[in-house]
Amino acid sequence: MKKTPQENIIHKNFLPGVITKEGFLGDDPRHVHEIVNEDTRILARLNRTPEQVADRLQFFIEQGKKGLETKVDLGDYTVQIIWSRGLLPCPFEEPRLHHKITCTVEVKDLNRTFKYSQLSVHMIREHGFFGGRGSPFRLNPTEMVELLGA
Amino acid sequence: MESLSPWVIFFASIFTGNILLVYFLGMCSFLSVSAQVKTSLGLGLAVVFVLTVTSALNYLIYYYVLVPLGIEYLRFIAFIIVIASAVQLIEMIIERFSEVLYINLGIFLPLITVNCAILGVSLFMVIRKYTFIQSVMFGAGSGLGWLLAILAMAGIRQRINEKRIPPALRGPGIVLIITGLMAMAFIGFSGIVQIQ
Amino acid sequence: MIFKILITTAAMAGISGVLALLLVLAERFFANYGECKITINDEEEFTIEGGSSLLSSLNSQKIFLPSACGGRGTCAYCKCKVHEGVGPILPTEEPLLTEEEMAENVRLSCQVKVKQDMRIEIPEELFNIKEFESEVDKITDLTYDIKLVRLKLTEPKEISFKPGQYAQLNSKPYNGVKESVSRAYSIASPHFEKDHIDLMVRLVPEGICTTWVHDYLQEGEKVKFVAPMGDFYIREDEGEMIMVAGGSGMAPFVSILEDMARKKSKRKMTYFFGAVTKKDLFYVEEMRSLEERIENFTFVPALSGPEPDDDWDGETGLITVPLEKYLKSHDDLEKSQGYLCGSPGMIDACIKIMKNYGMKSDRIFYDPFG
Repeated sequence: MKKTPQENIIHKNFLPGVITKEGFLGDDPRHVHEIVNEDTRILARLNRTPEQVADRLQFFIEQGKKGLETKVDLGDYTVQIIWSRGLLPCPFEEPRLHHKITCTVEVKDLNRTFKYSQLSVHMIREHGFFGGRGSPFRLNPTEMVELLGA
Repeated sequence: MESLSPWVIFFASIFTGNILLVYFLGMCSFLSVSAQVKTSLGLGLAVVFVLTVTSALNYLIYYYVLVPLGIEYLRFIAFIIVIASAVQLIEMIIERFSEVLYINLGIFLPLITVNCAILGVSLFMVIRKYTFIQSVMFGAGSGLGWLLAILAMAGIRQRINEKRIPPALRGPGIVLIITGLMAMAFIGFSGIVQIQ
Repeated sequence: MIFKILITTAAMAGISGVLALLLVLAERFFANYGECKITINDEEEFTIEGGSSLLSSLNSQKIFLPSACGGRGTCAYCKCKVHEGVGPILPTEEPLLTEEEMAENVRLSCQVKVKQDMRIEIPEELFNIKEFESEVDKITDLTYDIKLVRLKLTEPKEISFKPGQYAQLNSKPYNGVKESVSRAYSIASPHFEKDHIDLMVRLVPEGICTTWVHDYLQEGEKVKFVAPMGDFYIREDEGEMIMVAGGSGMAPFVSILEDMARKKSKRKMTYFFGAVTKKDLFYVEEMRSLEERIENFTFVPALSGPEPDDDWDGETGLITVPLEKYLKSHDDLEKSQGYLCGSPGMIDACIKIMKNYGMKSDRIFYDPFG
């Protein structure tokens, strides 16, 4: 794919130390577009849309907010959020800022936890971006569907 | 070619020989900027300006400098320099008088430099042996033709946003298909007048 | 042959030369905005070379508008009113301005270019904001994830601020992070200690600046910050002050309470501080000492999830629980003021409760960077 200077700027935003410390790509050598395309394909095969996953993840954040940093018990899940002060821009260069919320969800019977941020929910919803492999907030789309029952 | 009225060339280059839909030149910015009518209009007008100015300048340079000196083979370099300067000029003008347009056009404004429609027009003008008046009319007409095509595409794309497009076709895919359909429609004009 | 080469070269050079000349003239004519006069609040005036953004033009005159995104047009902190000398609202500004703001000529100063004489309006206190050079004097662990950083001022040597305001610290590039960022932290030191400031920095997951402070910043290192900013400070009044904080939200209240102690204030003050377990709790002794020094001050720490071996006999539950209990047993809350600092979630929850019990929303203050 041909890259415009605009796209190069956007690509730079995903690298470590520009918006977050580790960046959004992890050790994934692929270009952002490829990551998005592949994850979108995987989701489509499972008959799910990024919006559905994002809605579910947002639901956990909203529940977690009630706990003010303590664990909230939701029956099958527990949720805990850390809400730091300040705002973050989206690496896709949009003029909108996102709260610095990190959310940890535990699925009790599977004994698994996964971690994501408010910004990840936004990127999944608006850009279909689940994060590069090995990045701190990478969410695997297949796992998402299994874990969330979304 | 001298027998052709400049007006015939003018209208022919808008419709029957549309630089974009018939010759498929200048596709790059056409595909990327045609998302909104407002910005397409701005870029289209910039292209009209650059095309008119460069076809006139290139004509003068070709017939009064390159031909007498016998160095026609350097026309690519000469034309490109002229085009680059004209684009630089229009960039300054737009930045000064409409910052809104400047930001909306973004990188595609300087990229007019490598818009092949513009070099194409200058080369056609030489190949078809136009006179000065004919060349200017050809340049302006081609510019307007490009403007017409990108405006039509922008209009269609704005409507398309409201429709359900198969995911695989979203973005450039559907735009290319529409361009093809538009080009076929423009072939309908081709019987009216021939300018090659 | 030589002749031909010379002719060719001369012809091409001639063409380029003429065009270059044309562009130089055009540049003179179009891109030269000349000297522009900027009038601020109809009082101060300065003249600068036009062509750059309003934000950087103001910075060059040592007037600092808050800005967290470095002029990328995403944080919307650098808003100011531009009354004259500016074009229509740009597409890069539009999403960040409300309709009322647009009607009041509010613009993003990082996006607006200075092209002619301008008349602008900025809040008075922004004139006070300066850039300071300092040296890290001491770094202390307050909890496992909060550090207290003391910065000794080198240039200028003194700072004056209102207790409760914040400073913008500039990080330095480190291990993999190539750019410097600036982030806001409340000042925890009292305003009468003018030769240094204290900041409380809580480690943010994946945070660029907080990781730098926690893992890389050394004592003795030179750092820069811009201060003072913010309108979170004490409004002099008779009514009771009800303060709520969590985590590093402790910082502004330390400064505010030290000020109260020094002024020998007799105002009634209650300060709720929320933490999860005992290891998140800090500054308890300092607060107890303030309780002794201030006549009408009570400190109420609360743990929301104390561990069994924390041995905790104080308030338990989310910070909203003791707050609600307290508000319930009081009437006449209309006259009291609320001061909040902490995570946006905590602030939202507390505002809701305060309003439920009849506190007025224009008497509830919280710091803006959430």
